[in-house]
Amino acid sequence: MMGRILTVFLKEARDALRDRRTALMVLVASVVTGPLTLVLIAQFVSGLEERATTLKVRLAGAENAPALVNFLARADVEVEKAPPDYAARVKAGRLDAVIVVPPDFHERWLAHEAARVELVFDDSRTEASPAIRQSERLLEAFNRETATLRLMARGVSPSVNETVKVERVNAATPRQRGAVLLFLIPMFAILAPLLGGMTLAIDATAGERERGSLEPLLANPVPPAAFAVGKWLAAWASASLVAIVTLGGFVLAAAFYAESRLPALLQFGLPEYARFVAVVVPLAALTSAAQMLISTYGRSYREAQTYVSYLATAVSFIPLVVMFSGAREAAWQAAVPVLGSLMALTRVLRGDGLTAFDALVPAGVSLALAALAVAAVARLLADERIVFGRS
Amino acid sequence: MIEVRDLAKRFGAVEAVRGVSFTAGDGRVTGLLGPNGAGKTTTLRMVSTLLAPTAGSVRVDGVDAAADPLAVRARIGALSDARGLYARLTARENIAYYGELRGLPEARIGRAIGDLAAMLELDPLLDRRADGFSQGERMKVAIARALVHDPPNVILDEPTNGLDVMTTRSLREAVRRLREAGKCVLFSSHVMQEVAALCDEIVIVSHGVVAATGTPEAIRAAAGCADLEEAFVRLTGAAGEAP
Repeated sequence: MMGRILTVFLKEARDALRDRRTALMVLVASVVTGPLTLVLIAQFVSGLEERATTLKVRLAGAENAPALVNFLARADVEVEKAPPDYAARVKAGRLDAVIVVPPDFHERWLAHEAARVELVFDDSRTEASPAIRQSERLLEAFNRETATLRLMARGVSPSVNETVKVERVNAATPRQRGAVLLFLIPMFAILAPLLGGMTLAIDATAGERERGSLEPLLANPVPPAAFAVGKWLAAWASASLVAIVTLGGFVLAAAFYAESRLPALLQFGLPEYARFVAVVVPLAALTSAAQMLISTYGRSYREAQTYVSYLATAVSFIPLVVMFSGAREAAWQAAVPVLGSLMALTRVLRGDGLTAFDALVPAGVSLALAALAVAAVARLLADERIVFGRS
Repeated sequence: MIEVRDLAKRFGAVEAVRGVSFTAGDGRVTGLLGPNGAGKTTTLRMVSTLLAPTAGSVRVDGVDAAADPLAVRARIGALSDARGLYARLTARENIAYYGELRGLPEARIGRAIGDLAAMLELDPLLDRRADGFSQGERMKVAIARALVHDPPNVILDEPTNGLDVMTTRSLREAVRRLREAGKCVLFSSHVMQEVAALCDEIVIVSHGVVAATGTPEAIRAAAGCADLEEAFVRLTGAAGEAP
């Protein structure tokens, strides 16, 4: 049995490698995916920083707060008058943040009463957050300066007001912020085995049917399970190879960016790479087995391709669902196929550390389901409707 | 030796084969003759254990096909209706793959490919990839692939379909050599001349049942006419009218 499986595996691998054009296309695509994605992310991130570094504040009712305007001018901040429909514009996403000064501000400020301002923003848009934070910081700084001056005027040391001096260290977790942006790497880590196993999984099942080579193949004195396992191992190897190459592209690209000013966001080095591979290879066992099972129902390569692309779509929805549903991480999710692997990958990227549970549960689930799918393929290969059914 | 007893196969409401019996002996060529849709291919698929019969039995060299299909497959070399090759592999690799699947040692596969190439005039094709092959070339490789393990029983399902005259001739020559080597050759055809030229024994199948069995002479005598084609028409027509 082992010898037959090896024979089938070697034949499928050789056959796939002979398909130079497809093999090259898949490999080239997977090599450039990583660098290309990281370039896009880098563009996006530096765009964010640019928004925040050009210091500009929008004020409504600036005439009510000469002291604040004066402070902003001294801080070299450009003050722009907010248009009257600022609330609608913020809602529509055309303005990031607006400071609204009520008419009684100056009076209360002079009277040393708490003078109220409003900060209008919409934090559902992530790209607005730098501008919001900037406005908050400027208002805090104005507040601090006023207080300090007033204390000094009364002969009190300004440090009385500052019992604790807070210095911002590391702005919480640039890595966690990076993980949000880099949900793309786990996404590619999950899609890469789908891409890499597809051609072989289809060719070894629906391809055999279309070619008319399945019937003579099954006339050999070899149990169908040996064919199913050998073909699956070849598809798994191909899927793993493509995933390993794709992720390698990310490592190279991240190393290149390490010199620039975005290193914290793009921490994807060899340790992360190794963990990713450890999570993705068992996942590839499942995706290639599922592709084979689906393709076996296809009477032609094209038909199978259609079915398999539905699978790819379904799988690629999972990262999006996780991102947008805001589902909280729970232990049971580790046992959901694909989702468990995705959670493990996200954890690696966030630097949370990957426990044995995080890694082994999804791997175990993937391998168990893969075994079931391969057993189903073996049954189908013995099914008259599959072997002879061409209509 | 292939023994078929009361073989039947039903696909849903369709009875493709309704009780076929015959014996194909060693050192003989047995022809399964019948019009399209008579049940020849279905019968041959059951003999090569790819289809499970609804009723009846198949024994190959005394081994029951239902009890031990893998042992039966090991004793058969079958050219089936579907004869696809792997286009990206060479002829040699296509043939060797089947040899490896049958667990033959490498040296034996090499020898077998040499012998088969000589018999089927395959030498110029061996190291070319199959995707450029003509239909006749594909057929020859498919036959070589089915015979790589030197099986005692050879099943050929409409082997001359779509072949030109020259290829058909060399194929007939190959069948005669298999007979001389003592093999049991069972082949199907709907072409009268072919069967008449090759077969020691003819089994005429029509509408899923055997209409007549015997040597070409015996069949002519049974139908009461000197021309085999005329006999064929009469016999298959008669079977068609039977309930």
